[in-house]
Amino acid sequence: MRAGRLLRVLGHPVVGALCRLVLAGIFIYTSLPKLMHPGEFARLVYGYRILHPDMVNLAGITLPWIELAAAAFLVIGIIPRSSALVLAGLLGLFIGAGFLALARGLDIECGCFFPFMSDHKLTWGLLVRDAVLILFALQIMAWPSGFLPVRRARRQPSAS
Amino acid sequence: MAKSSSRKDLRNQQPPSSAGPSSIGGALLGAVVIVLASALLGIIVNQLSPRGIPLLPRSGSASEQTPALALPPGVARVDAEGALAAFHAQSALFLDARPQEEYAEAHIPGAINVPPHSFEERFLDLMDQMDEGSALIVYCSGVECSDSIALAERFLEVGCSDIGVFEDGWRAWVAAGGAVAEGLEP
Repeated sequence: MRAGRLLRVLGHPVVGALCRLVLAGIFIYTSLPKLMHPGEFARLVYGYRILHPDMVNLAGITLPWIELAAAAFLVIGIIPRSSALVLAGLLGLFIGAGFLALARGLDIECGCFFPFMSDHKLTWGLLVRDAVLILFALQIMAWPSGFLPVRRARRQPSAS
Repeated sequence: MAKSSSRKDLRNQQPPSSAGPSSIGGALLGAVVIVLASALLGIIVNQLSPRGIPLLPRSGSASEQTPALALPPGVARVDAEGALAAFHAQSALFLDARPQEEYAEAHIPGAINVPPHSFEERFLDLMDQMDEGSALIVYCSGVECSDSIALAERFLEVGCSDIGVFEDGWRAWVAAGGAVAEGLEP
């Protein structure tokens, strides 16, 4: 009974819209400065000491675009389930990278938010925050909905 | 009318249990398309952008270990050994580009704290402390921070020439057993 009510609340369109706007908003906000400063972002990626140095630049160049594209699709409601899946995957990647860095005792900047120069250290708390954001993505994947009527229009091509 | 019908549509969203294999496959396919298309777009924009960086760091000059970490022209790369040698020979002035709180916790003895954003207000003061033509070694926390490079660029702009960036920075200094001072005084 309670589980049913919980599912109804979780699946409510307002909850879905909030999840989409929060998740997409965060990723758009964080991706834009990375897009404009790929060198600095690549340096932050390098600081995690996970990727081979040859791969660092490619990650620095492509990751912000993937974040921005998935977040933008999420806002306008195009393939929301796929967009949420991409963002959940990225968050999983960040958690994994952060876990490895912290487990090795690295004292590095997380590279999450701009400006990069600010003293925003990678901490366990940030990994918990990313895990919470994954829950937002899961909500969207379970109850996908379009913010703009793109999907509805596609479903009803002969409405007139 | 349109409003109420769209509300109804939203409420009729599929519950999680109805997500069958085909919709999961479709979501995966869509995700792969988003990743590949946006990554490709990013690579193209990077190639066209004046801020673009090389795709493959080591394909360029042999001296560039990782051009994402490229130093401005005229700035030398200093490793921990070189920094220690310069410290013991007193052949360079060390500049600490980290935030003041981190500097106060511990720094290289004799290093002056100059976070890049404070360069303008500290400039005249710094000039008094520098001998003409003295070598500078700039550092911050480690290889992932850019403040040392930003500070080196500021010194280049005002005409300083003998500048080195100790890229591995403070952590490498400590790991190499370098001397440590505490407080806000150099």
